[in-house]
Amino acid sequence: MANSIRNWEADQKADRQTGKNQPKPDIKYVSAFRALSAFAKPHKWSFMLIFFCTLLAIAAELLQPYLVKVIIDDHLMAGKGEYSAIIGIGALYLGLAAMSLLFTYLQNNMLQYTGQSIVAKVRKQLFEHISKLSMSYFDRTSSGSLITHVSSDTESLNQLFSQVLMSVLRDGMTLVIIIFLMFQLDVQLALYCLLLLPIIAGIAIGFRSYMRRTYQRARTQLSRLIAFTAENLAGMNLIQAFHQEKEQQREFTERNEGYFRANMKEVKTQVWFRCSFDILSNLSIAFVTWLGGMAVLNKQIEFGVLYAFITYIRLFFQPLNTITQQWNTLQSATVAVTRIWGIFALKPEVENKAKPRALAKAQVRGDIEFDHVVFGYGEHAPVIRDLSLRIRAGERIGIVGTTGAGKSSLISLLCRFYDVRSGGVRIDGMDVRDMEQSQLHRIVGLVQQEPYLYSGSVLDNVRLFDTDIDEDTVIEACRLVGADAIIQRMSDGYNTRLSERGSGLSAGERQLISFARIIVFQPKILILDEATANLDSYSEQLLEQALAIVSKGRTTIIIAHRLSTVMKADRIIVMRKGAIAEQGTHSELVRRHGYYEELYRHSRGKVFA
Amino acid sequence: MKKGRILVDFLRQSWPLYAVAVLLHVASSIIQVFFPQVLGRFTDALQNNGLSSGLIQEYSLLLLAIGASYVVLACVAQFLIMYIGRRFERLTRSKLFMHFTGLSERFYSKNGVGKLLSYVVNDVTGVRESISMGVNQTASAVTLFFAVVTMMLYSGIPLFLLASSIVPLLLIPFIVTRFGPVIMQRSKKVQASLATMTESAEEQFGGIRVTKKFAVESVMNERFFTTVEQIKDNQLRLVRVSSIFQAIIPFLGALSLIIAISLGGYLTVNGELSLGHFVALTLYIRMLMNPLQQIGTVINTMQRSRASLERLNELLSETPDIQESKAAASLDFQGKSIHIAGLSFTYPGARGAALRDIRLDIRPGMTIGIVGATGSGKTTLMKLLLRTYEAPKGTILFDETDIRDITLESLRSQIGYVPQDGFLFSTSIRDNIAFSDRGRELNAVEESARQAQIFESIMAFPEQFETKLGERGVTLSGGQRQRTSLARGFIKQAPLMILDDSVSAVDAVTETAIMNTVRSMRKGKTTIIVAHRISAIKHADQIIVMKEGTIAQQGTHAELSAKPGLYASLCAIQEEGEADG
Repeated sequence: MANSIRNWEADQKADRQTGKNQPKPDIKYVSAFRALSAFAKPHKWSFMLIFFCTLLAIAAELLQPYLVKVIIDDHLMAGKGEYSAIIGIGALYLGLAAMSLLFTYLQNNMLQYTGQSIVAKVRKQLFEHISKLSMSYFDRTSSGSLITHVSSDTESLNQLFSQVLMSVLRDGMTLVIIIFLMFQLDVQLALYCLLLLPIIAGIAIGFRSYMRRTYQRARTQLSRLIAFTAENLAGMNLIQAFHQEKEQQREFTERNEGYFRANMKEVKTQVWFRCSFDILSNLSIAFVTWLGGMAVLNKQIEFGVLYAFITYIRLFFQPLNTITQQWNTLQSATVAVTRIWGIFALKPEVENKAKPRALAKAQVRGDIEFDHVVFGYGEHAPVIRDLSLRIRAGERIGIVGTTGAGKSSLISLLCRFYDVRSGGVRIDGMDVRDMEQSQLHRIVGLVQQEPYLYSGSVLDNVRLFDTDIDEDTVIEACRLVGADAIIQRMSDGYNTRLSERGSGLSAGERQLISFARIIVFQPKILILDEATANLDSYSEQLLEQALAIVSKGRTTIIIAHRLSTVMKADRIIVMRKGAIAEQGTHSELVRRHGYYEELYRHSRGKVFA
Repeated sequence: MKKGRILVDFLRQSWPLYAVAVLLHVASSIIQVFFPQVLGRFTDALQNNGLSSGLIQEYSLLLLAIGASYVVLACVAQFLIMYIGRRFERLTRSKLFMHFTGLSERFYSKNGVGKLLSYVVNDVTGVRESISMGVNQTASAVTLFFAVVTMMLYSGIPLFLLASSIVPLLLIPFIVTRFGPVIMQRSKKVQASLATMTESAEEQFGGIRVTKKFAVESVMNERFFTTVEQIKDNQLRLVRVSSIFQAIIPFLGALSLIIAISLGGYLTVNGELSLGHFVALTLYIRMLMNPLQQIGTVINTMQRSRASLERLNELLSETPDIQESKAAASLDFQGKSIHIAGLSFTYPGARGAALRDIRLDIRPGMTIGIVGATGSGKTTLMKLLLRTYEAPKGTILFDETDIRDITLESLRSQIGYVPQDGFLFSTSIRDNIAFSDRGRELNAVEESARQAQIFESIMAFPEQFETKLGERGVTLSGGQRQRTSLARGFIKQAPLMILDDSVSAVDAVTETAIMNTVRSMRKGKTTIIVAHRISAIKHADQIIVMKEGTIAQQGTHAELSAKPGLYASLCAIQEEGEADG
């Protein structure tokens, strides 16, 4: 139950992927499990060992009725009065119990160890694999659903080992051994008991699938309730400002009631199940007593056998109940395994050439050329149409245009997050497709609108956890961009811990950190994608100064929808509908009285007048 | 509300149901203990050759009757108890939500949504578990235990045999309470490390662009791998304890049985114990293992939920710091001016004042523009006007009436408020715009959507105004969110409107259009516009420039830009192009 908030979060994350153009994975259960067995193979000896441990672990519990039967039939009923034999059996039972204690412990630990090792390996490889996929995949897929794969799906896999396999081993073997012992004791009675098996299994499976449905319904209702509460708590100031407390309370009550009803349905099913299962168990005991009693009366069996049967029948129901419970877990684990292997089957869309040309970063000048580039996402209409543009090394370029004009797509091509449909993108005359991606990425630096902070110290955020970069380099970089003073003022200086949420830094200060990253990693080409949007005027000025330093000696491309940011560029490219509409310096463009001038007037609020 | 009330209040309501459930449990346990006794008698009869096929049938039917009736009684009792528990949950959650709607922003600034959710979900569930399952199991375990012991003594099984057989079993509750908390704690650690891994994945995938751009994938992989290893370690630490626990309880049961078999067998051999009693004894011991284990579990549950109960009561005793005074009356804002007289304000727990000695008169129908850097107190002033924080007495007046003497309903329903963040609810767009009055006709909703320049975007969605927003629906861009939020403010046509930096994410062209609409729409009505950008407020009747909680400058755009000062330098920064060109 304490999991429900987590469930809700997982539901939400999983939900985010729906509707996106994600191909539904082909459900190939068999191949997925075959792939999984490849992970399990190195552990096959462990699994054998676990099997034998299980056998020894359940022996005491299962042999107890048999031992009592021996005592009753051979010693008590026989009236021989040999006490020493009873003591012997007691000692044997003690030995079995001690063995069971030891092997239950061993079995549990070994199974967990093996299962955890496999799951950890799957988790690592899955993460590594996802990280290798192309940017286009990340643009299409919400990070929420990726997180679901890495955490919840692998957790289901974990349950496959810790619960399903555990139960199949322990409970399955218990059932088999009980049946075996029953046949040893008396074949006829055992056959009668076996008749019960399909009935019990039928009831259990029938109820289980119904219970699963009621459980799912209750869980959905609870998710709704939690989602509603979370949202209302977050927007409470609005509810109060609009004086909507009563209305929201009414809606809450509706959901609360819905959850209550779904829950009672679940409770009812549970109670019905327990009731019928227990009654059936008692019915079978009465049945065995009657059949067995008659057999004892007719001297067909001894009383001890009857005693053992009664006890075994009672022992029978527990593992059967547990094992049917695993059915649901098995189902969700199957789905999870299939999804995980669906990811493993994905190939990165942008791949390195077989023999990428080596490029010494130090020698890169930073000339850029877009040569008759055509580009579109997937099957969609092109967003860049036959665009050609040359940027000289060291030039400072501003790109403006409204949303959807193709500014960001152009940058994605330069970073080779995507490949062009036709034409080419070249750096110093070399096509970006001929370079190794990691080399290209070190040459082209990107600062985005939302600076991303990792949870870690300021120091590690600047050097991106690369311990080869020493502290002095980082401090020097921060000093250059003007972040040093701010960082020194923080409680632990460069060791102050930051995180994506609630870092205590303003938007402008966060952006300074990503500027410092540029200084540390020294790319030859620098792209600023709306890097100074959404800032107040003071922060904007701060970044303006930092930018002057960062862009020194680098080819710099600045994308902005606020014109003040690009006015000082050597050249401004005005984009419209995937093509270059105008270009020139600010004053040239204003004089031209074209599209740029129109944008410019709007931005200055002149239309008011 | 007094402390420690929820449980008492609830029990006062539902004790009769409770009593019935407990009685049913007791009855069921008493019937259940006859089971081994009947089997014992059956055995004795069998041994003494006193059985006939008719008697065997009778015994079987008796066993069936006992089995069926205790199961039915137990199930009804279980259902009742669970029903009571769920009712408690429903009632308490309602109470909590009601309480939440009364608490003010001061409370929400201290308590995150996650923490409050855990009250509603985890704590309520925790208490419910102990009042339903806890009571359920205690009732059945205790009665079963005593019934078994009584029955064994009554049936003539010697006391010393009984006592010595039971000794190992009595260790069970002790072991459960010993191991329970340790297992709990370690499994919490497992959960925590799972959460850490999820967060790590979240972070890595969120920052994948950065990771890829700087080509530091391998470093980031290593970071993630350590979180995976942590889970494995914690899982293994957990299983080390939990497997001992799982193994030791059956072991103690086996010890009891061994004593019973050996000692009981000895007595039976010597003719001091009948075979029937011997059989019954072994069955009774099996029967006792469960309730003893349950008692231990219940003790653990109770301990955990006591803390939850305390937290819930504490939360419910939190008094809202903004309350209507008894003398509060409604007031028509039409034609009233707003006087802010020497208003100083410090956030509770903050060191410095957020506002210092603000003096301002807003005549009816005026448009006021407020600019200033982040943290200069603009939003604080708006919050005080909305009374989401409490201003000192006599500092905010509507004509002569103090803000504290107006009912909250009257105050808030006459202010059209558009907050900075453009928060929307996960309902339809229509319900979001008509948030102040969900019954508003579609025409009005469409009209205000047009005014906020969002109409076209909404009509482009397949379900138009009925489009669902949020996690399960359409995600709007920042600009679209803000414009929808604007429409939500516009539809009220309130005598006073507050736009708190409401067009920051909207592009310049749209901003111009919206501000033009605002000007024509709000003619004759009081409007306050807070903004970063000069372009949004330059046409206001009065512009207030705020700095560090005070009013630094005040005047019209023409006046302020003519003289050197904060406003003029702000203009210079934002209109730099003009100076250059």
